[in-house]
Amino acid sequence: MKVPELKWEQVQRGLLWIALPLLIGILIATAIPKPVIGVIRLEDAIYAATGQDLIAQIDYAMEHPEVRAVVLALDSPGGTVVDTESVYLELAKLRAKKPVVTAVNGMAASGAYYLSSGTDYIFAKPTSEVGNIGVIGYLPPSPFIYEDIISTGPYKLWGSPRDTYLREIEMIKQGFFQAVTLGRGDRLKVGSDVILRGQIWTGTEALRLGIIDQLGTESDAELKAAQMAKVWHYNVIDLAPLAVPNSTLNVSITGFFAKNDQGALLPYPSQPGLYMLFIPPLPTQAQEAQ
Amino acid sequence: MNRKWIWIALVLFLLPIAAHAVWFYTGIPVRPQVKTPDYKDMTMPLAPLSTPQSQDKLTQLGGVVVFDGAHTNQYQPGEIQALTDELERRGASVEFDTVAGTLANRLKYASTYVIVSPSVGFSSDDIHSITAFVKNGGRLLVFTDATRGLLSVDYFTGAQTLFPDVNAINPLLASFDITVNNDYLYNLTENEGNFRNVYFDQFSKNELTFGLKEVAFYGTHSVESPSGQVLLLGDDKTLSSLTDAHSSAEGGAVLNSDGNVLVFGDFTFLSTPYNGVADNATLIANIADFVLGGTRQHMLADFPYIFNSKSVQVFPTSNIQMTAEMVGALGGLQAALKTINTDVQVTDSAPVHSDAIILGTFTSSDDLLPFIKPFGISLDKSSDYVELPHFGKVGTTGNGLLLFQPNQSGNTLILLADTDTDLTTLLTTLSSGSISGCILQDNMGICSIGSGSSFSVESTPEATPSGSGTTPTPTPAG
Repeated sequence: MKVPELKWEQVQRGLLWIALPLLIGILIATAIPKPVIGVIRLEDAIYAATGQDLIAQIDYAMEHPEVRAVVLALDSPGGTVVDTESVYLELAKLRAKKPVVTAVNGMAASGAYYLSSGTDYIFAKPTSEVGNIGVIGYLPPSPFIYEDIISTGPYKLWGSPRDTYLREIEMIKQGFFQAVTLGRGDRLKVGSDVILRGQIWTGTEALRLGIIDQLGTESDAELKAAQMAKVWHYNVIDLAPLAVPNSTLNVSITGFFAKNDQGALLPYPSQPGLYMLFIPPLPTQAQEAQ
Repeated sequence: MNRKWIWIALVLFLLPIAAHAVWFYTGIPVRPQVKTPDYKDMTMPLAPLSTPQSQDKLTQLGGVVVFDGAHTNQYQPGEIQALTDELERRGASVEFDTVAGTLANRLKYASTYVIVSPSVGFSSDDIHSITAFVKNGGRLLVFTDATRGLLSVDYFTGAQTLFPDVNAINPLLASFDITVNNDYLYNLTENEGNFRNVYFDQFSKNELTFGLKEVAFYGTHSVESPSGQVLLLGDDKTLSSLTDAHSSAEGGAVLNSDGNVLVFGDFTFLSTPYNGVADNATLIANIADFVLGGTRQHMLADFPYIFNSKSVQVFPTSNIQMTAEMVGALGGLQAALKTINTDVQVTDSAPVHSDAIILGTFTSSDDLLPFIKPFGISLDKSSDYVELPHFGKVGTTGNGLLLFQPNQSGNTLILLADTDTDLTTLLTTLSSGSISGCILQDNMGICSIGSGSSFSVESTPEATPSGSGTTPTPTPAG
């Protein structure tokens, strides 16, 4: 049997129509990055510095296509209202494009739960502390004349009347409640009479109330995020070093919390203001309750 | 021919890309529409408009209202001005009792005693005085407040302890079967701008709740009285912070079974601007009517505040001779009663339908008999003693007898002694304005006046009415 002679013309055609497209396809395929599940960590209160870092990471996740989903890993008592809302709104933009799953490690209280309510799915450990939905603030003093400082209006020094301030807090609380009801939807099994009590629940109890979706760990959250993003063989990457190389996250910022005379951090903020923050009861307050 | 090769090339080109994609991706995620709160449409909850008040001329009820200020009370007079204004519009005089130990004397002439958020407990003497005051028709009005309390700081440890006002008031209120709970009421769904500002829209039938449709309290304790009446009650979602439960036995205000003790769990609703919210102003007006609407029954122990009118007739019975000494003593009594806005007029005929002081001796006379008859006393000229109910045999020499007969038409004080001289001494004793040295039992009293000498019982100094700057007049009995 005679073997057909391979002509140069045929070799040329094979290279052009077979090898070259295959090579280009392989090159292009390898250029497609491996999908990434980005992890954004918050292990501090939410205030200006941490809020900006969180937003930088959210922006990074939105701008980088390889980041297919995000896990928001929380261990935070919440923080200022304005910074919480800023992060929440940025998170909503990200969530419109990519799945965001919350993993509550130690605590997602108050403002931190506000953030998690704006994500697709919430995991918590059985003894994580979750909830504390509500707002706190320091009432301004009743106006009086302070001779050493001249002002141009009765509330220039005090901000607002005490009664108005109280009602503003109520309005902010309604925003928080709306965020929770919008975020949780039908998954929420209790009404405002329970939600607005400001109670902090364990993960197990939060699951029963529909405050969270599932008991689980951070790796469970990563897996869930991957499933929602419809990816596998993915990488899990902390976004903080990429988005904010000089991140202040995971560093205890002492400026937010007050300190006692010995320099020890106290669980309440150093400045008056409006907060979505969980302040654990102090021993003296527990004594009062008795 | 070329078309075939193009297809082959295309497949070979896409194959590694597809393989790569399948290796990493299982599908195309579909993102839901993300909704955020409608911030721009959020508004501050505003207080409901105040119900217009009646501009009718108010009945001048008069009376003296004493506000407690001697128990480290956690309020400023300005915070209760809405109430004091309403009281003054009704012709009442308002006093603030800021000196400990003067309560018993002030209650002699007060029509109502008002306690606002005390931090220091009431002594057993105070409690006795107040319960006796209420028993005789005086009215007790108590305001507590869940937002007040005394914060004590340990000097060495810095530990803080809060003493709520309920600790100070409950021992007193126990006498009236009323308890103020160490809690606050809250409502998460229907409230006045904050969960702890609760509405009450269920009212017991009472004059105090007349014209009310809705009142708002601002941080109120719950109050209960098993035998009394819960006046203000919230809806089923108004819960106690102690139990996180609703109880129809616990409200914002209760009235005791006798209707003379009114207790509120809050007084912030009296202060501006909260006094103008919903029907709070109507409630405050109703409270003012309650405060001045009592029927105070004076007792002998209330001397000199035992008369209803501003004029007292002094009637010396036929056995009495108006000696110069007696005229002098009567002048002293007149001056003493003048300090409490009561005039004294001497008359030679038995007074009818008026406040009166009857002067007599242990020797009976026809014009004296009608006055002492209600007391069941028989006067025997030959005897050295008179027999008195409860007291037994009382020697006539050196003793003066006080008999007090309250009556709708006028209160009568009868003074009896052995002689004109003893009677003069007794009058001198009364002129001091106090009979605290006498033995008093109900409306009968015995004063030792020596053996017809000028001896008289020394009286303990008592607080003079102050506060409003006006001299109080006795509270009228009903």
